[in-house]
Amino acid sequence: MKSRRWRLALTAAMLAPLAAAATACASTAPTSGATGAASKSQFVIGYSQSNNAEPYRAQLNIQLQYFVKKYPNLKLLPITDAQQSSAKQVSQVQNFIAQHVDVLIISPNEPAPLAAAVQQACNAKIPVIILDRSVNNDCYTSFIGGDNVAAGKQAGDLAVKLLPNGGNVVELQGILSDQPQIDRDKGFREGIAANPNIHIVAQREAKWLKESATPIMQQWLAQYPKIDLVYSENDPMALGAYLAAAGAKRAGQIKFIGTDGLAIPDGGIRAVQQGQMAGTFIYPTCAEQAAQTAEAIVSGKPVQKTQTLQVTPVTPDNAASLYAQYDDSKFQS
Amino acid sequence: MSSRTTPASPGVLAPSEPPGRRSLRARLRGVLPVLGSLQGYIGLVLVIAAGMLTKGQVFWNQQNLTNAVGAFASRGILAVGETLVILTAGIDLSVGSLLGIASMVSALLLVHQNLNIYEIVPLCMVVGAFFGLANGAATALLRIQSFVVTLAMLNVVRGIDRMLSDNVSVGTQLINAQGQLTPRSAQFQVLGTPGHNVFTGLPLPFVGRAGIYYPVLALVVVVVVFQLLLSKSKFGRHIYAVGGNETAARLSGVNTTYVKIAVFMLAGLLAGFAGPIDAAYSASADPLAGSSYELDAIAAVVIGGASLAGGRGSIVGTLVGSLILTLLDNVLGLNAISDNAQLIIKGLIVILAVVIQRPDFFRALGPAVRRLGRLTRTRTGDPPGEVASGSPQPQSATPPLEESR
Amino acid sequence: MGREIHETQPDNASGSSAPAAPGPGRVILAMNAITKTFPGVRALSGVDMTVRAGEVAAILGENGAGKSTLMNILAGVFSDYGGVIELDGVPVAIHSPKAAQHLGIAMIHQELNLVPDMSIVDNIFLGREPRTARGTIDRRRMDEQATRLLAEVGLTLHPRRPVRQCRVAEQQLIEVAKALSASLRVLVMDEPTSALADAEVRRLFTVIRRLAAQGVGIVYISHRLEELDEIADSVTVLRDGAYIGRREMAGTTRGELISMMVGRPLDELFPRSDSPTGPGEEVIRVEGLDLAGDRREGRAALHGVRLIARAGEIVGLAGLMGAGRSETLEAIYGVFPRRAVHGNVRLRGRRYQPRSPRHAIRNGIALVAEDRKAQSLVLTNSVRFNASLAALGRFMRRGTVSAARERAAVAGMVTDLRIKTPGLNTAVANLSGGNQQKVVLAKCLLTEPSLILMDEPTRGIDVGAKAEIYQLMTELARRGSAIVMVSSELPELLAMCDRIVVLCEGRVTAEFRRGEGSQEAILDAAMDRQAVLGIDAASPSRAPARREVSDE
Repeated sequence: MKSRRWRLALTAAMLAPLAAAATACASTAPTSGATGAASKSQFVIGYSQSNNAEPYRAQLNIQLQYFVKKYPNLKLLPITDAQQSSAKQVSQVQNFIAQHVDVLIISPNEPAPLAAAVQQACNAKIPVIILDRSVNNDCYTSFIGGDNVAAGKQAGDLAVKLLPNGGNVVELQGILSDQPQIDRDKGFREGIAANPNIHIVAQREAKWLKESATPIMQQWLAQYPKIDLVYSENDPMALGAYLAAAGAKRAGQIKFIGTDGLAIPDGGIRAVQQGQMAGTFIYPTCAEQAAQTAEAIVSGKPVQKTQTLQVTPVTPDNAASLYAQYDDSKFQS
Repeated sequence: MSSRTTPASPGVLAPSEPPGRRSLRARLRGVLPVLGSLQGYIGLVLVIAAGMLTKGQVFWNQQNLTNAVGAFASRGILAVGETLVILTAGIDLSVGSLLGIASMVSALLLVHQNLNIYEIVPLCMVVGAFFGLANGAATALLRIQSFVVTLAMLNVVRGIDRMLSDNVSVGTQLINAQGQLTPRSAQFQVLGTPGHNVFTGLPLPFVGRAGIYYPVLALVVVVVVFQLLLSKSKFGRHIYAVGGNETAARLSGVNTTYVKIAVFMLAGLLAGFAGPIDAAYSASADPLAGSSYELDAIAAVVIGGASLAGGRGSIVGTLVGSLILTLLDNVLGLNAISDNAQLIIKGLIVILAVVIQRPDFFRALGPAVRRLGRLTRTRTGDPPGEVASGSPQPQSATPPLEESR
Repeated sequence: MGREIHETQPDNASGSSAPAAPGPGRVILAMNAITKTFPGVRALSGVDMTVRAGEVAAILGENGAGKSTLMNILAGVFSDYGGVIELDGVPVAIHSPKAAQHLGIAMIHQELNLVPDMSIVDNIFLGREPRTARGTIDRRRMDEQATRLLAEVGLTLHPRRPVRQCRVAEQQLIEVAKALSASLRVLVMDEPTSALADAEVRRLFTVIRRLAAQGVGIVYISHRLEELDEIADSVTVLRDGAYIGRREMAGTTRGELISMMVGRPLDELFPRSDSPTGPGEEVIRVEGLDLAGDRREGRAALHGVRLIARAGEIVGLAGLMGAGRSETLEAIYGVFPRRAVHGNVRLRGRRYQPRSPRHAIRNGIALVAEDRKAQSLVLTNSVRFNASLAALGRFMRRGTVSAARERAAVAGMVTDLRIKTPGLNTAVANLSGGNQQKVVLAKCLLTEPSLILMDEPTRGIDVGAKAEIYQLMTELARRGSAIVMVSSELPELLAMCDRIVVLCEGRVTAEFRRGEGSQEAILDAAMDRQAVLGIDAASPSRAPARREVSDE
């Protein structure tokens, strides 16, 4: 008898959220009236991050928290981490919509799956800021992103400058289907087209990973007696290749170009400063601009629909000062 | 313990023959189980042959082979631990995460505590063994399936790892004010940074005075130690017994709970041992290091001839499986096969390797060959009936009631 | 909607109409000079077998004689064999179970092939479910046909009942019903009665006779001779994979069949003399042994069991299935959690608390478990591995298992127990049942036990191996071991034991000294529910206590 009553109670407890979900769908009663914004003193921002575990994104999170704090009328809810899962991200975005945040910032994991979620936000009259990667839906308020083609192009330009007489280049690619990979590859090829004597002798997917780049580079070193330059679509892969070349005592003959330029001890700026890489490009985190735009939206100022940020070249000359400028620890607490 | 009144010793019923000198064949048969099935080597030989044929010296030279094996060494060590678990009919999905946290711990101990490698490596092993123990206890004592336990542990440990690291990779090459590597960083490099060897300057066989690449050495030592453990020790026998038939093992006096806990702990210990190698290999500990390594490890074990149902497999087989995987990767890379094609080829090779590894592979081939033979013989007019029979037919008694034909 | 446009399954799916013209005596199946080679020890060499329509043709032979191999060839399990199979005079090639099915050959394996969690009807039509016009499964028709098929084998179960809830005997008949639904010509039954009680055997025989009357050829594999008297028309005897002969059942004596099977006279079977040497000192004394039952694990309860075995003694434990015979042995051996077991155990005069099998082995107790495949052997591993498993500690040298010592000890056992194996590294799965059992015995003996607990030591092994095991037990007792054996074969208990303790519902109901007991007396005691006071009549399913004790 007793156990049966328990079971009943348990079942009811488990069904409760389901019932709540059903009713919540029916009535989208806003809990915090977003309209009539002018009267409010504080505005809530929800930020959906696609994957905390990438250093670049970890840095973005830290910077966003830092810059939002600069505006006393803005409040950032705890950042959600979709862990590279679009499905997870959609539900997290829907959560923010349900809480009726005043501004929604999204770093989409993939363009297509997030389109519907953005539309839902749009229907709920929540302004949306998209960071870095696009979504298949233009019902957003502002898109802020770096230019990956430009990042690749500038890397190509640097390669041309480093190899005036031409030479053999190998290219380490991120996950082949990722849009930044496609764009950076395209830009780089445009850049090196300026010197027809520069040849890409090999290119392979190292999945953005340092540990995958090392054995690939070792194989290239075994095959090609002359490699003049390594172009890597991110810094960790460039450093993985550097380790392989250093191990084979050929690092001195090869130039390494990376991308991302994170100002962390294990990042690309330090590597340029220490002479391991010939250059890298700081790919903007967009955090400062995102906070700015959010503030503009809530205070009714006009915002640009598309904001494209430029990459910043890191050279051995400016590396130290750039590191100081972007240093991660500066943004913390 | 009380003395036994009347033990029935072997040889009670008839004088047992002294074990005479065994034939070479019998000896071979005794050794072979240790080395795994012969079929396993076929795959390895094929991969090596493919490398030599297509790339010759570029493939078959010490540096390339060292690089290739070194790149897989940490996963190979994981695979050894995984073999133990799989032999008991369990599975450990958390070894990749355990390697990740050990690699992170090693980098943090180096960077923040400035410890030397003789302190770092044992501490990492303790960390790995701790989580392994948790896996084992949950599996054996709470009787949760190891798949579930270790799947959960995979996430728990990865979460701790990422918390420890703040999602930022930790470099192990620390530079001091003079622009030099700090002594501890320099020392850490011998654990696997490419181009850094141990025992340099010693006159060693095969490698000369150049020294040995530590990840390769570590893999070989781990393989030898654990192969001996499996084939020579009581504990090793008990592992096979638990995987082959747990009830029978328990009734034969095997402490099955202890064995199950121990294999998970050893798998964790080995993951802890492999962590610093992985950190040194990349000269940094990434919060995602070791992700999906468990799948490579399981693949190596399975290609090495182990059965996921437990009770069958060997460490040497796992080494062969690891070598097949990494050398295949190397050969495909050297031949500039496109990345997408590589995925397809590697996938197919796994299936092929497992099929070849079946204990009855050649036996299954036999009937096919024989049927072929029967076909040709029938064509030449031989009676088909006798083809399959190994022995003559002893028609000792004719059936008394052989009716109608 | 829902109209049935076409029939996917012929309505008359029963065996009744399958053979066109059942002329009695017509040879329906002829297997000539069948050969089959395995890499292990067994093979078939030139075996002949004929079955006439309407005949129950038995195949008799020791375990490992090749009976199952021969029938598996017929059922298409092995694709490569030599020889010719003719069905109704037409040579056929049977290279897959599917081909066999098409030819109207059905086989009911010893281990039943039903999916326990599916319903009876789903099992019967598995893989050939009738469809409606819309292509969905026609459940109504399935249920109807299943009910009819079940009735044909004398079952009145609801077709939607899960097979798991059916008793073994019912499952056996469900298998028959499943076979009926094809156009059946030959039905092979591999040891169908090995798990059945008497009443259930009767029912099965009725069904078999009815099928035979309808012209189906029945191949009946068994080594229970007493059954063959009753059911078989002819007997084909195999030994060591060779054809020995064929006899009409009428006019053939049991002795003749046994000597054909075994190749030697029968009186060697029970070697134990009537006057055992005087009892030695007490090895084990169990008093007031209680065990908490566990329905989920199928564990019977024990209530105050008392059992004494002295050196040189063989003590038998008799009783019906579920009486607690195995549980008594396992409780002594330390299989159960300590909190479930209570009682007074003294081992060689000292107080002994069963803790674990490991602890028992260390104290000189060995157990030959009831189910050698499930409980005793690592089938895929070698003879050497299995035999030495419990006694590895004896072969240690410098912390490792000395291969030389181990091999010498195991080789000694192989010689002593006359284990027929190609080598020490042969997988035990490749040995015959009798030899597997000897490997289990070797494992126990290598631990040098002074008390040997044997649970059905001769179950499922052939007569020759039985004799050898009896001889071994006699010898062990003579050397001073105490043996407690559980057996369902009363002649075996009566011939081998110095004393027989009878259990009923977890209580000792009688004890007979050698020469005192008879099969009737033991059975009486085994079913003596009167003596079992203070227990509720257990679950209704247990009410018709299954008589596992075979009474010849």
